[in-house]
Amino acid sequence: MEIEAATEEALFTDALHAVGELLEDDVSGPQVLREVTVNGHERAALLVLWLDELVFLAETEDLVPEDVEQMELSERGLVAMVRCRRGRPRHVVKGATYHDLAFERSAGCVRARVVLDV
Amino acid sequence: MSSLAQANVRGFRQVDKVIWELPAEARADMRVLACVFADRELMGQIATDRSLEQLQNVATLPGITGAALAMPDIHQGYGFPVGGVAATELPDGIVSPGGVGYDINCGVRLLALPLAVGELGAHTEALVHEISRRVPVGTGHGGALKLKGAAFDRVLVHGPRILLAEHGIGTAEDIDHTESNGCLEGADPATVSERARVRGSDQLGTLGSGNHFLEVQRIAKILDSQAADVFGLREGQVTVLIHSGSRGFGHQVCSDYVRTMDAVQARYRIALPDRELACAPLSSPEGQRYLAAMACAANFAWGNRAVLAHRVRESVARIVGPRIAAATRQVYDVAHNVAKLEVHHGRRLCVHRKGATRAFPAGSPEIPAAFREVGQPVFIPGSMGTSSFVLVGRRGAMSRSFGTTCHGAGRRMSRTGARRKITGAELRRQLESQGIVVRCPSNRGLAEEAPFAYKDVERVVAVVEQAGLAGRVAQLVPLGVVKG
Repeated sequence: MEIEAATEEALFTDALHAVGELLEDDVSGPQVLREVTVNGHERAALLVLWLDELVFLAETEDLVPEDVEQMELSERGLVAMVRCRRGRPRHVVKGATYHDLAFERSAGCVRARVVLDV
Repeated sequence: MSSLAQANVRGFRQVDKVIWELPAEARADMRVLACVFADRELMGQIATDRSLEQLQNVATLPGITGAALAMPDIHQGYGFPVGGVAATELPDGIVSPGGVGYDINCGVRLLALPLAVGELGAHTEALVHEISRRVPVGTGHGGALKLKGAAFDRVLVHGPRILLAEHGIGTAEDIDHTESNGCLEGADPATVSERARVRGSDQLGTLGSGNHFLEVQRIAKILDSQAADVFGLREGQVTVLIHSGSRGFGHQVCSDYVRTMDAVQARYRIALPDRELACAPLSSPEGQRYLAAMACAANFAWGNRAVLAHRVRESVARIVGPRIAAATRQVYDVAHNVAKLEVHHGRRLCVHRKGATRAFPAGSPEIPAAFREVGQPVFIPGSMGTSSFVLVGRRGAMSRSFGTTCHGAGRRMSRTGARRKITGAELRRQLESQGIVVRCPSNRGLAEEAPFAYKDVERVVAVVEQAGLAGRVAQLVPLGVVKG
């Protein structure tokens, strides 16, 4: 998964959208809000933890992430209110890896690459 | 390949018909040489992905000894290549979760039915169908056996032995005919996260997705009659091969410890070319905790394959009869993703095998007494529609590969690439036209495992035989396949 966004918050949100698309199948169930907290100051590792958290919600609670309602990104980590829909996610993603992991900031842009284990 | 390419592939020099080496001096950070077991054709295929670069990365790990080794089925993995072997020296050499892989103790179990293919006859499709009804497939799908709390932890500590004692699953002979008797010592449930428990609590007896499958087969050819006799195999016999691992439980254990070790690289002054190689000294608290958690996942995986074998026996009982089910024997069960503490060349080593199988020769005290005169059985699943092989460990494995051989055909095309070349529906038609019964709920998953996405398994096993790592015992061909 390669993502480019204007801000770090937008990049983490785009990553959620990408995972949601991979997992989406029958998502006709009710909407559910979930607070997701991941800790760590290093952004690349934080992105891995964030994706793993979303995959875990899909695997254990059949929740497909749809969007981020609120996000607080700090030096300590990330706290987000995630809007999900209960459904029957396609369990195609097992988790995110550190393989070839990259997170780079440049003028007006943030880029990341994370390899998913599928 | 051109003659120049034959002599030198990405800096690897052919030193024998089936051995290629890259000296440690090839890269400033390599500590040992890198060595690939392959013929020229396979080496050409191997060079098309990043696995040779990954093998060189493995050669940089602190405490690695001998060589970073690659089996002929090597292909690109996360951090470590799949089909790689790395032995590190105790006490301060490293242990790396990535050197074992996410599917800890992914492995293969072979069951032999007391039945010739002609006797199974018209029941073949019904048997494959019945197995598919009893075995949940796909990522995240739960099984009928749900264990929690202390009952779950006992499986982590004891493996299949506790499933036999408390649930009547399997037999004492099954346990005897399992690598390490289905139980790695030192398993400590306290080193396993709650998240791993949640993911694993309903996954005993589930197949999973990807390249995991369960195949009903017939023995097409006996290639070593002495070893086949000892293993109880005969031409025309029906077998069932089970390929699965530790499912989400093992995945979470690996994820947890890759993160743990990634966070302590600076403390141990370890510099890595890829973060997925995250590791810690075997003697460190992080290394010790990983080994204890990995043992839990390995024991869980043996438990998983024990439950899967139980479901197969239930299916045999229903379709062919209880007498046949009761006489269905487990030939052996081998792990191909695990790190084990072993003695080689007089030294205590931690042998990481990721997509590689232990292949101890005749006389080894580590293998069941019944097999000791010929060596340890090894199972090499082919891809769907192609042959699988039963091998036996040879002495060359001890001198050349820390007692290791290959684990499968080895992928040569990405899953996306396979899907671009064939649809699942078309592949299903092709397999069925060959008389192979297919039960797979996902056309996408089926297409990703198309036979052409893998290397030629016959070539792979020919290489390990020529290298003296293992010898061919029997060739198995598929009658039906169940996959996720």
